[in-house]
Amino acid sequence: MAKTKIAAPSAASYRRRQMLITLLPLLALGVLFAALCAVVSTKGYRLDMYLEIIFNEGVVLAIVATGAIFIYTLGSFDISLGASTLFSAALGVQTYNATGSLPLMILVIFAVAIGCSLLSSVLASVFHIPVFVTTVAMMSVLSAIAAQIITTYGGALGGISIPGEVVKPLDKPWIKIVILIAFAALCVFIFNFTKIGRRQKFLGGNPVCAQLTGIDLNKYAIIAFVMAGLGVGIGAFLTLVYTPSVNTGTASSIGMNIIVAIVFGGMPISGGARSRIYAALVGGFSYILLNNILMLLIEGNAGYGISQIISAVFFLAVVYVTGINYRTQTLPR
Amino acid sequence: MAQPILEMKGIHKRFATTVALNGVDLTVYPGEIRGLIGENGSGKSTISSIAAGMLKADAGEMTFLGKPWAPANMVEALEHGFGMIVQEQGTVPGISIAENIFLGDIDQFSKGPFVDRKAMLAAARKVLERVGMDKVDPALPMAALDIQDRKLVEIAKVIAREPDIFVVDETTTALSQIGREKIYELMREQKAADKSVLFISHDLDELLQTCDTLTVLRDGNLIRSFTKEEFDPDAIRTSMIGRELQGDYYRSDSTPTRQDGIALAAEHLTLGEELQDVSLTLYKGEIVGIGGLSQCGMHTLGKVLFGAQKPQQGRVTVNGTAIIGEAVAMKQGIGYVAKDRDVESLCLSASIQDNIAVAGMERYAIRDFLILENRERAYVDKQIGDLSVKCAGRDQQVSQLSGGNKQKVVFGKWIGRGSDILILDCPTRGVDIGVKQAMYQLMTRLKNEGKSILMISEEMPELIGMCDRLLVMKDGRVTKEFARGPEMVDTEIIKYMI
Repeated sequence: MAKTKIAAPSAASYRRRQMLITLLPLLALGVLFAALCAVVSTKGYRLDMYLEIIFNEGVVLAIVATGAIFIYTLGSFDISLGASTLFSAALGVQTYNATGSLPLMILVIFAVAIGCSLLSSVLASVFHIPVFVTTVAMMSVLSAIAAQIITTYGGALGGISIPGEVVKPLDKPWIKIVILIAFAALCVFIFNFTKIGRRQKFLGGNPVCAQLTGIDLNKYAIIAFVMAGLGVGIGAFLTLVYTPSVNTGTASSIGMNIIVAIVFGGMPISGGARSRIYAALVGGFSYILLNNILMLLIEGNAGYGISQIISAVFFLAVVYVTGINYRTQTLPR
Repeated sequence: MAQPILEMKGIHKRFATTVALNGVDLTVYPGEIRGLIGENGSGKSTISSIAAGMLKADAGEMTFLGKPWAPANMVEALEHGFGMIVQEQGTVPGISIAENIFLGDIDQFSKGPFVDRKAMLAAARKVLERVGMDKVDPALPMAALDIQDRKLVEIAKVIAREPDIFVVDETTTALSQIGREKIYELMREQKAADKSVLFISHDLDELLQTCDTLTVLRDGNLIRSFTKEEFDPDAIRTSMIGRELQGDYYRSDSTPTRQDGIALAAEHLTLGEELQDVSLTLYKGEIVGIGGLSQCGMHTLGKVLFGAQKPQQGRVTVNGTAIIGEAVAMKQGIGYVAKDRDVESLCLSASIQDNIAVAGMERYAIRDFLILENRERAYVDKQIGDLSVKCAGRDQQVSQLSGGNKQKVVFGKWIGRGSDILILDCPTRGVDIGVKQAMYQLMTRLKNEGKSILMISEEMPELIGMCDRLLVMKDGRVTKEFARGPEMVDTEIIKYMI
């Protein structure tokens, strides 16, 4: 090793570097957006059409991921969120078709979404098992029941639906943006300006220490799952607003996509103190943008598979880079 | 003099804004026990971690056994004869004791594609005997052991490889006197075999007794090396902190004092073999010490008093309220500083602000719910200022702090919320002499303010120096109570410990 004189960076330059790291996901989102515009224009496709698709997919993913941040902050994850979205939407459709009432449909969607989420956390609490284990079981159960409902009532159509005109008035970008902002604002408030969010971050960072600081894991896990359920409810409703039909593939990949989106947004998969709500918003749209860019670039039958592989490599790279930043700052214990 | 076993020249290392090492030279010779001392954050653990492959230097040169040395990790270092026992947790909780001992070297028990578990357990038993753990089943999971036994297993893991150099990084703070004697014996064996030891500790007395040479680091710089003939405690202390210690170290009074009124009462606490019918009363403005060997039940007692463990029989009360959980304890004004600081008292990945603020939200939250950043910052800054936490700012991650400053953060967490009763389990474990003095002075100040302190400790001098009363525990029972005064001396106390 060569001998060199080392000077410590000033606190201000250190903060600048940390700020830059914090802003990187936002920068990546901008780059991905520019890349999409470039790819679409190179291919000669209509940009407005792609932006509409990305917006509608992105809003649902970002909202469900925003609610899920509360679970991920605890260092846990919920793989059943996609199945829960599908199940809520399916029961919402059935409710509307049985009663013709939109408010009742919305009520059922939210009740089912929050109920499914709560059930996962309560089961984990009662049986003293990690919560992600119960979510794996929930995913299987909810997918199976939803599939049964859809195939039973959908028949040859392969899906169940409500009349398009029922939700068509709500299928407007500004309404979705308002819903997204309102839900994100609620989550930011709870996360950053109340004892709930602070304690959840601490629990995720060190549950043993949190318990010895008087923080009840079960209580905060239940709150986290209620928030995630709320996100699932909104996501399920917006899915129906966008396409008023539900089939067995609806929202099926949301559970996994959330994991990738949150990491893309700059939040560690282990949760804790570095958890951020904006990671879900930025990461959700980044993931959808990346996916669409890859699908555009790699056309043909292999396109989906290759784009998934590239997304996975990208995911690993982001996890590695964020890990380096943390490890190099840690003094020996 | 013989060729050095380890030679490090001009080692530089920094972490974020902290310069941990600034061109430090260190040489260790065969048959030498070299002590390394310095305040928290002086760079002791960093330089030994670099030599052991746990960290990479930013600049500098290293040779080990006469050859250039740059181990990729601790496993590779150990394979080449460089064994290190780290300050905090160095074992894997999810696997067995035997698997921990032979971690990275399990191939020696290969039987085709399988591991000869019987042979591995037999070999583990032999190694455990060397560290005095002959009664421990090596098939047990590591998580079943307490902090002292985990540390002994780590020592066993290193000595099983017969290393040429054996680095002991503040390990003795986790050990009882018996454990310490064991490790001193292993060091002497190492020296007798013409091998080396690098011994890092804050306990100057044990360094003076054990070492041949002593190197002092301060703020990442090498200050001075002392040979055995030059050993002078005052000169070493002054080198360490760069000034002479001002004011009293322990309490200056020699009689017990307290205010009227009971702060906490425990009646007939029983929990397995760890606690057997333990009763105690803690008065306002009183410091009560709990002393004994590590396994005597005193650490469990601390947890039970805080409501973190439920006794099978008996109860703890404060102002007539039964303490049935941590949240209740906190509501009644109890704070708890755990022995296992990095696991039980701090969230290492969080900032200083997060760690201090989390326990005191009731103090600054509006309507006990709404958190405003400016109020939280003011609350945290006050604790940082009052306790003189050496940091780059409240946003700095706690994992970047030295042991002493981490402990100050833990104190800030509990003092800031205005705890009237503090249960301190080994409060000065792994902290340097300057921080220790600051903590003793803080405890004295809190006592004078009418706060009550229950200090659990394995260090007899601090128990004698600080307590109004001392309860000695053995096998889960209180065997003797001493009042502050001429009778509270170590020769008398130890009779009731062993």
